[in-house]
Amino acid sequence: MLQISHITKNFGSYCALNDVSLQVRRGSVFGLLGPNGAGKTTLIRIINHIIAPDSGTLLFDGHPMTDADVATIGYLPEERGLYKKMRVGEQAIYLARLKGLDKAEAERRLHQWFDRLEISSWWNRRVEELSKGMQQKVQFVVTVLHQPQLLIFDEPFSGFDPVNADLLKREILRLKSLGATIIFSTHNMSSAQELCDDIALIDQSRVVLSGSLSHIRSQHPGLDLDRIFINTVTRHE
Amino acid sequence: MNKILLVIQREYLTRVRKPSFWILTLVVPLLLAGIYAIPIILATRPIEHAGVMVVDQSGIFSGQFRSHRNITYYEGGSLEYARRQLRQNDSVDAIVYIPARETTLPQQAYLYYQSDAPSVAVQSDVNVQLQEILRNCILLDVHGITPEDYALLTSTHIRLRTQDIETGRDGFLQVKSVVGIVLAFLVFMAVFLFGSQVMRGVMEEKSSRIVEVVVCSVKPFQLMMGKVVGVGLIGLTQFALWVALSGVAMGGLRLANSGLFEQAQSKPVSQISTKGAEATAQFQAARIQAEQYEAGLGVDNSVRELVEGMANINFGLLLGVFLFYFIFGYFLYASLFAAVGSMVDNETDSQQFTVPLTLPLLLSLLLLPALLNAPSSSLSQWLSIIPFTSPVVMLFRIPFGVPIWQIVLSMALLLATFPLCTWAAAKVYRRSILRYGQKTTWRQVIEHVVK
Repeated sequence: MLQISHITKNFGSYCALNDVSLQVRRGSVFGLLGPNGAGKTTLIRIINHIIAPDSGTLLFDGHPMTDADVATIGYLPEERGLYKKMRVGEQAIYLARLKGLDKAEAERRLHQWFDRLEISSWWNRRVEELSKGMQQKVQFVVTVLHQPQLLIFDEPFSGFDPVNADLLKREILRLKSLGATIIFSTHNMSSAQELCDDIALIDQSRVVLSGSLSHIRSQHPGLDLDRIFINTVTRHE
Repeated sequence: MNKILLVIQREYLTRVRKPSFWILTLVVPLLLAGIYAIPIILATRPIEHAGVMVVDQSGIFSGQFRSHRNITYYEGGSLEYARRQLRQNDSVDAIVYIPARETTLPQQAYLYYQSDAPSVAVQSDVNVQLQEILRNCILLDVHGITPEDYALLTSTHIRLRTQDIETGRDGFLQVKSVVGIVLAFLVFMAVFLFGSQVMRGVMEEKSSRIVEVVVCSVKPFQLMMGKVVGVGLIGLTQFALWVALSGVAMGGLRLANSGLFEQAQSKPVSQISTKGAEATAQFQAARIQAEQYEAGLGVDNSVRELVEGMANINFGLLLGVFLFYFIFGYFLYASLFAAVGSMVDNETDSQQFTVPLTLPLLLSLLLLPALLNAPSSSLSQWLSIIPFTSPVVMLFRIPFGVPIWQIVLSMALLLATFPLCTWAAAKVYRRSILRYGQKTTWRQVIEHVVK
């Protein structure tokens, strides 16, 4: 689905990504792991064409990734928010239309989602009246509404309360079962262990470990992902 | 639907639905109507009647004070008698006391009251009449000037017309300066008001962290331009509503209060005290005539000047040029304001950028009084051609007549600069919009643009 080859990105003298290569299989859940500041968000922003890499290539379904491909991605950034003064329904429709849905279709799908998550009563409320957890649900719905083939969640569990985090995990698995490919970044190993098929560990701008979860675990018998993570990072240092 | 249209639509609709938009839209015409109506209402408000007792020991003033609709003057005789009246008689509110003369002319007079000070109207009426009576006395007794001579003296009026010697057309410089300054100020306000709205909008998107979600669907440039255009349309809507509502308010006021206007325009009929000396009465009659004549002539002249002056201005050209500089002056600055908004996390930090940004406009506004002395000086010409000052200075100059090549050059330069500015602003915007918690410096801004 996504082939990332030799991506390098520098911000001035600071190297954010150094020769990063990864492969994301169609229909898999891919965990992008690593400590804070490792370069996960930079990589995700490069995939989303928000910033351009200094060198390296991105292949999407075998062809160089275009803006049109990017528009099909469902992306939940780490720095996420909504227009505080706008009403929930109106705002969700606006964001869905920016993704290319027409108004009637956006409204139909939104009502389905809102009914399923039992949040229909929020439709006419202003975002600023919602709690943080409520806003996260709205953000999640907006991210997946256009039924993207590729979903990218950047630190989806940070800031989510346990109930919403659990809901999110179930939704991720449900979307996977519907055929979507999912990339998410996290430093929460237990959720990665629960959800991922493949993982990549990024530390100090480099990929230090990658492959399928089962393969990696068989190479480190008796260790959980947390331990493997710490061992790899410290050895690398 | 094109994405940039969606952004424009959102920017426009969210703003036009805000109560603050409608409050501002209503407040300006109401303020204008108020400025127009309040003096009229005040002037026609019934004034309370006052009685003033005159005690004159100088021998000049007794019997000379004229009573009229609001103030009645009584002859008081002795100060003691007047004092008693002031205490006991409700119709006496104050005493004018002129002591006996020590020199040829009286130097002082007193206005006595008990507990309640007389109104400003009474004070000023007493004062005016004191001066007038004294002056009439000197004119007639000392210089022997007759009322007819006096009327002639005060009724002269010569109108000064400023004209082009070639065409023989009037210059109407005063009317034109007013029109020019108003136009320049309107454009300045528009750029400032709506430019900072763009900046706050960008800051809102940045601080609420919505921007990263949005820039995955639209290009940063589209988001920025959508906002600039959306707010620009809000500006045009607001101006159109201001003009329309002000017109309606003024018209309504005129219609509803046509009676009020007539009252305000007709002067109170003076009642000349029969007790007054013949000569003085004649003098006063002549003087009133002269005043009315003079006032009538003055009003006539200034109204004529205004009407003719307005007719002399090419309003079609004016409107076209105004709209051009309004729109492109706004565009020139709005994208720069958007870039500033993208660089900072809060409004306080924005000032290090907005102050230098608005300096050219502010400077040209401050220079207007100086330019007024020489609307076609070379400084004025340069400022009206340089894009960052031209929106304000060119509009100021337009009523005075500007050579067509200068207008074309100024417009062309503005049109050429605006995409350049937008391009630079978009570069800064794209690089800054996702940076949080770092203060941007001027050096970085230049790096963003150059790289």
